[in-house]
Amino acid sequence: MFIFDSLSLLFIVFIILGVIPNLFYMLGYLKHIERKSYFLINYFVFIISMVGVVVSNNMIVFLFFWEIMSLTSWQLILTNYSQKDIGKISIFYFIMTHLGFIFILTLFAIVSNGSIASTTMDSVGGFVANFPYPTLLFIFALVGFLSKAGVVPFHVWLPYAHPKAPSPVSALMSGVMLKVALYGFIRVLFDILYPWPLEWGIAILILGSLSSLIGVLYALSEHDIKALLANHSIENIGIILIGFGIGMIFDTLGLKALSSFAFIASFFHIFNHMSFKSLLFMGAGSILYETGTKNMEKYGGLIKNMPITALSFLLASISISALPPTNGFLSEWMIFQSLLNSDVISHLDLKLSIPFAIFSLALTGGLAIACFVKAYGISFLGLHRSENAKYAKEDNKLMKIGMILMSLVVISLMIFAPIYIKYFDKTIFEFTRLSIYKEIFPDNFYSLHAIGSFGGVVSPLILVLMLIFITFLIYIAQKIFNVKTRVCDSWACGYKTDSQTQYSAVGFAGPIRRLFNWLYKPDVKFRKITINQETASFDQSHFELHVKPLFEKTLYDSVSLFISRVSYYVYKIAHFEQTRYCAVILALLISVLFSYRVFIGEFSWISICLEIVIMSFIFKVLIVGEKR
Amino acid sequence: MILYIFTIIFFILSSPFFIGVIKSLKMFLLYKKPVSLFQGYYNFQKLLCKENIISSESSIITKVGPFLVLSPLIVVLFFLPPIFSKSFYVGFVDAFTIIGLISLSTFFLMLIGLDSGNSFGGIGSSREAFISSLVEPAMVLTVFSIGLMAKDIGVANASVNLAHNFPKEHMASFLFSAISFFILLLAENGRLPVDNPETHLELTMVHEAMILDLSGFYLLLIELAGSIKYIIFASLFVSLFLPFGLELSPFLAFMVFVLKILFVSVVIALVEINGAKLRLFKVPNLLGLSIIFSFLSLISFYVLG
Repeated sequence: MFIFDSLSLLFIVFIILGVIPNLFYMLGYLKHIERKSYFLINYFVFIISMVGVVVSNNMIVFLFFWEIMSLTSWQLILTNYSQKDIGKISIFYFIMTHLGFIFILTLFAIVSNGSIASTTMDSVGGFVANFPYPTLLFIFALVGFLSKAGVVPFHVWLPYAHPKAPSPVSALMSGVMLKVALYGFIRVLFDILYPWPLEWGIAILILGSLSSLIGVLYALSEHDIKALLANHSIENIGIILIGFGIGMIFDTLGLKALSSFAFIASFFHIFNHMSFKSLLFMGAGSILYETGTKNMEKYGGLIKNMPITALSFLLASISISALPPTNGFLSEWMIFQSLLNSDVISHLDLKLSIPFAIFSLALTGGLAIACFVKAYGISFLGLHRSENAKYAKEDNKLMKIGMILMSLVVISLMIFAPIYIKYFDKTIFEFTRLSIYKEIFPDNFYSLHAIGSFGGVVSPLILVLMLIFITFLIYIAQKIFNVKTRVCDSWACGYKTDSQTQYSAVGFAGPIRRLFNWLYKPDVKFRKITINQETASFDQSHFELHVKPLFEKTLYDSVSLFISRVSYYVYKIAHFEQTRYCAVILALLISVLFSYRVFIGEFSWISICLEIVIMSFIFKVLIVGEKR
Repeated sequence: MILYIFTIIFFILSSPFFIGVIKSLKMFLLYKKPVSLFQGYYNFQKLLCKENIISSESSIITKVGPFLVLSPLIVVLFFLPPIFSKSFYVGFVDAFTIIGLISLSTFFLMLIGLDSGNSFGGIGSSREAFISSLVEPAMVLTVFSIGLMAKDIGVANASVNLAHNFPKEHMASFLFSAISFFILLLAENGRLPVDNPETHLELTMVHEAMILDLSGFYLLLIELAGSIKYIIFASLFVSLFLPFGLELSPFLAFMVFVLKILFVSVVIALVEINGAKLRLFKVPNLLGLSIIFSFLSLISFYVLG
């Protein structure tokens, strides 16, 4: 019923790493929550269900825990039910997560040949090998698991749902639950659907590239701090999938060492994303409860009042922006190296498309830097933008302990990367039977070598030590020159500096938003009260900008519009009088008779035309009737 | 090993000189009386004598930021390609790490811009974020293609490989990536089509705006970081795209290297006096050009290779 192979154990370690700092933080956060027992029950059941998902082998057990995970997270979103739009958003989350569930259920029902209850995951490989439509199963897995993981185009619920939960739960959902969904996907791919065609890897690569770009672009346009972080989760899931997709492509082409390297990179990024995203959500939660708002425009200057939150947020920001020497950089570096090795692929057309994945990954990195400069600079630096920000202070000790523990996880992933990579290698070894740990760390413990003919090397420890050493040298230089320091007002070319003249979050992202205007199509409200019909001088002005995701506008709204139209007609049919029902039945019977002749092959254009005329006549006269 | 240390010290000490060369050549070509070539050093001396004035609104970021702007760039200096082939060099550090370290320095520079709370700093940071986020993909694709051509992603190894067996059959992609890298050199160092380093008018300010509220030693660190960034890019350009002269004796090779950097500086000065600054929202067109050239370089490499 349960399985404890190295993949499961890896994810148990993963969940433990994510949960323990979160527990401390949650205990500190508890006083802000009204319905404590409700919250606690759901919180612990949520954690247990995640552990259950990663250890269950039997399909029905897996589905049971999966469903418990969905339901408890849904309940946790509803913890603070007085928030705006909470009903709509929780229903959206509920529907999306169950849409995925249906696909997983169908997938399991097909592969277990109807007996879900008695089938284990690792025993169905033989059935799938003879199944004629493996791509159908792949699409079911794709929709089922990745809609939970928030991959484009199934991502729209994520930036709405995650910010509504209490911050420790947001940290768990973004940091851990999304990866548990990815665990399901990986498990199904490895155990059930193993020999992958080339197209699957390409599909994953494309989805990953799209998610990473779209996630970061919408994150840039956000000024709600938790929604910004939630959008970044989409981006990072995209980066993980880029690594995974290129690994699948290499595996199909028989380049086992390269594929193992790419899989290790994506596992590493799974861990890294958990660490820094949890840390960011914890920081956001502390700010949220001190200032009472999620709007970044109301923060400002928090580094002076909340130093521990500010420093841990800075560490996480550097890490998520993939800047060396942090752990986020290491995993992104490994993914870049895997993409670089695409040179050995012999398909020219496939090779030519890899640069686009590199492009999107690099652009994502660049935009993530811009986004986190915005998030950090606007919330923590500058002047206080509101009264609440001015009187904010560090919250209680437990929350600080939670953040410090999570920072330690981030730092350990950076410094002890070799140890983690050893375990990822062991996990991959179970599937590919190829250990590449010796190739990644050939001569010493701390220099991380890329697999392949290009031989990139990075060593986080040396980089850290060099940075510290050189900063120290410059500091010594400052001491030697005996530099005096004086504190004075901001100069700012002589203009007045106050909290209103500072750059805002909307303004900071302005140039990038303008460049990607074709994607955002923002809803701008600009109103100003002018003096004497002059355009240049005005008393008051108000600028408001909202970006609604394009996918929501096109994909989801059009689907819901379509369904509501269809249901309108269904409603009309369902409320006919009895004579019309008879007419409908008659029309159906006649159409069955007519189409039967076509199916058995007696096909002639004249009869078809005649039948269409008769059908339309019946439809017009008997069903539609006269308009009143 | 001694020569290795010597080159790093040379890079740090000579970087203001090359900036001075560009500046005085530009002034000469514009029929102005040129400033001294060593003006950078005089400025640094002046800044050393001044005291640090810190804005009362600023936080610890202003106090540690300048160090963290400079130190990643100095770390990069250790990983640059060798000036002559027999010298010691750290070959394995690859281009992604170098790009990352440069971005780390830019990250802290942008935070400094936002720290003092004045609106100019915000403008500068916002524009720098805009430009550097678009530079990143072009940069990665360019180093990617040069890494493929040189058969090694470590920049130092790549330059040595290119110098020893130049891939003549990939001349087209080599030229494309050279063009792309030159545009990036201009963009990353705030040279003219992207940013004008000499004016303090609000409309042209990117780099200058971020450091408006710094003075004294901190301003010196940032200015030094700017010139070191220029020397990093120039030396990467000459070692990767003008790969000759490595086999000469150390002294001659060194002279050739300095001449190559001077050549790059002259070209930049010529580009600067012949062009006007682009509007900020036209900059993506220039950087898009660079992205397209790097794509072309990769595609022609794959198609021919």
